[in-house]
Amino acid sequence: MDAVEKANADRQKRWLKDQKIGEGTYAVVYRGREASTGRKVAIKKIKVGQFKDGLDMSAIREVKYLRELKHQNVIELLDVFSSKTNLNLVLEFLDTELELVIKDRSLVFLPADIKAWIAMTFRGLEFCHRNWILHRDLKPNNLLISANGVLKLADFGLARDFADPGYKMTCQVITRWYRPPELLFGCRYYSTAVDIWSVGTIFAELMLRTPYLPGDTDMDQLKTIFRALGTPTEEEWPGHTKLPDYVPVGQFPKTPMRDLFTAASADCLNLLSKCLIYDPRKRISAKDALNHPYFTALPYPTHPSKLPKPAKKESTIPPEEMDGNVEFDGPGPGVKANPPNKLKRKLSSDELGSRPFARRLDFSQHM
Amino acid sequence: MNGGEDYKAPRVPLYEGGTQYRHWRFSPEQLADTRASLNAVAVTGIRDAFEADLPGSSSQVSFLHAEEERLLVKLYVGKVTQLCGHFRFPDEVEATAMTYLKRFYLKNTVMDWHPKNVMLTALFLATKTTNHPISLDSYTARIPKTAPSDVLDLEFLVAQSLGFDFAVWHAHRALWGLWLDIQSLPDIPMDDLRRAYDTALTHVRASRLTDAEFVYTPSQIALACLFIASPALASAWLRSKSGQGGDDPALAILEPIRAMITTEGSPPNVEAVREVDRRLKLCKNPEKVPGSNAYNKRLAEKLRKADEKRLRKAEMIRKAMEDGDPFGSALAGQADLDDEDDDDE
Ligand SMILES: Nc1ncnc2c1ncn2[C@@H]1O[C@H](COP(=O)(O)OP(=O)(O)OP(=O)(O)O)[C@@H](O)[C@H]1O
Ligand SMILES: [Mg+2]
Repeated sequence: MDAVEKANADRQKRWLKDQKIGEGTYAVVYRGREASTGRKVAIKKIKVGQFKDGLDMSAIREVKYLRELKHQNVIELLDVFSSKTNLNLVLEFLDTELELVIKDRSLVFLPADIKAWIAMTFRGLEFCHRNWILHRDLKPNNLLISANGVLKLADFGLARDFADPGYKMTCQVITRWYRPPELLFGCRYYSTAVDIWSVGTIFAELMLRTPYLPGDTDMDQLKTIFRALGTPTEEEWPGHTKLPDYVPVGQFPKTPMRDLFTAASADCLNLLSKCLIYDPRKRISAKDALNHPYFTALPYPTHPSKLPKPAKKESTIPPEEMDGNVEFDGPGPGVKANPPNKLKRKLSSDELGSRPFARRLDFSQHM
Repeated sequence: MNGGEDYKAPRVPLYEGGTQYRHWRFSPEQLADTRASLNAVAVTGIRDAFEADLPGSSSQVSFLHAEEERLLVKLYVGKVTQLCGHFRFPDEVEATAMTYLKRFYLKNTVMDWHPKNVMLTALFLATKTTNHPISLDSYTARIPKTAPSDVLDLEFLVAQSLGFDFAVWHAHRALWGLWLDIQSLPDIPMDDLRRAYDTALTHVRASRLTDAEFVYTPSQIALACLFIASPALASAWLRSKSGQGGDDPALAILEPIRAMITTEGSPPNVEAVREVDRRLKLCKNPEKVPGSNAYNKRLAEKLRKADEKRLRKAEMIRKAMEDGDPFGSALAGQADLDDEDDDDE
């Protein structure tokens, strides 16, 4: 056997695979263990043989970034190996995801709990941004939570680096409900602010316990945003009417956030509103967010181990939701184009203008 | 950090925590040793394969030496540039493909895998890892005598050889950082700087033909290249960083880099390489030549092993059924990872 093959085989032997626990768009996820220690892991198996362009872009991005990023609040990639025509990513095992926590009606959130989750999200994100990496798919189901309550950014299948300033990027990223207005207007030169908007919508969702801006289509998404936050003026967001896909979607007045978030503290609303500033240049950075008074004011964030969590993942949610799938033709956030069991994906490209969609196809676009 | 929690986020810069720093940095001696032993192991293995095929047949073969392997690889590392010009791929793709090709031959021998083929796969992979993907069909359509499968067949091998370390930090990026930094220093003549930057960039490109990236950091290489182009500007930058005068210790490290780039940073002599390539035809591993006896033997062995494994597994399941515990822990505990049929439900 070649040395390279042998090294791969040796790596493979370190891990044992148990039962299947989930299925994503392009991968099947198994529970597994480290052979020598019994440590629990998740093994994400990506079939490669079926892609006519070879290793698929999502898999490549995920491997590329997770191999470099080591941080308390970013999911850890423990190993990578191939088996026949599959690529296997060995990930630290994470018990649950924020989406399931939000949906579990038996759980009560204290303001300190929300503060802890948002702080951990910003820490993980600040680390990515500091290292010139955009996540581009933040949403509650990509924020996984460990057995001891620590939240971690996961699913880097849409991530990219932005060290090259002024490089054109696709605007077809981020699941619709969490997508910022500049992307909905087709902006191709964007930056870290896109992820911050997503955190803002997640922040709001934690308080409301339901998605904050659930648009049915891309057009409706803009309307939903403006209805909630008021139609932006030229003054607050200079130049937005010149963006490639700009369309006027109607005039909506600004209503105070306080009307909706009745229980939130002033600090909390202040930070939330800074995450949801229309002009991406004025939106708060992850670093500044971490230094926001909200995080130092009372109540202090809950210790991760004391955070509420669903009793048992399998028993609390129906299987469709566990996979993170939405209704195929329902008014979901446009997460999935293919039925859950179809493992087909398109070559996604940021730079080829002719390919309109990255990873998630969006039905509204076909109408 | 804020948030009142009792753990600290690590503050190691990404480069130092990253795979390039941890897996792909060597001393020149380590590099030489790695290549020498890789070559020795390959020669022994191939000699055995020849002998198994036809006893006595290896005595006439003149195998390649490590230095000759390196020469051949270098030729193809240089060819990446031509190919990228042809496709108009950006610098990032080109530099990454060159790194992949060089890294590949720290794990493999040219007598197993010819760099002509590996180069095509390394470049195709680099277009994807740097986020400039093109479809395989349009890629191979523009390369003579190349089918999609030629590229794809090696993709796993290349990815494995890279240890799936796809991210590469390049000196041209570091040079860009220097350029921005120096602009903000007082009293910098912009024309000089622009000229120095362009010259430094040609040195950075030349450095890609050398081992510099295995020995030095991208910023060291960038600074050395700037130093070759303009000692005055490089020193000005150093002074602004360290607050010290001319003989900064950082200057000392630039000298060996400069030497490496000036002596090694040009394409190899084509005649010499042609000779190597001619000999390679006679000493390449027969196990990697489809249709040869050695190749067939190896294939048969692989199939036999797979059969054995399947039988073993069937037996295990049968036993478990007998024990009335078809999905029990005994089975789960032994499930292995390379089943291709276990998730096809
Ligand atoms: N590290 C992990 N630990 C435990 N379970 C995991 C882990 N990673 C993934 N899972 C489970 O596997 C499921 C599929 O994960 P995956 O990230 O492949 O897809 P997804 O996020 O559901 O969908 P998509 O590919 O559209 O993002 C998850 O919903 C989760 O239930
Ligand atoms: Mg996901």
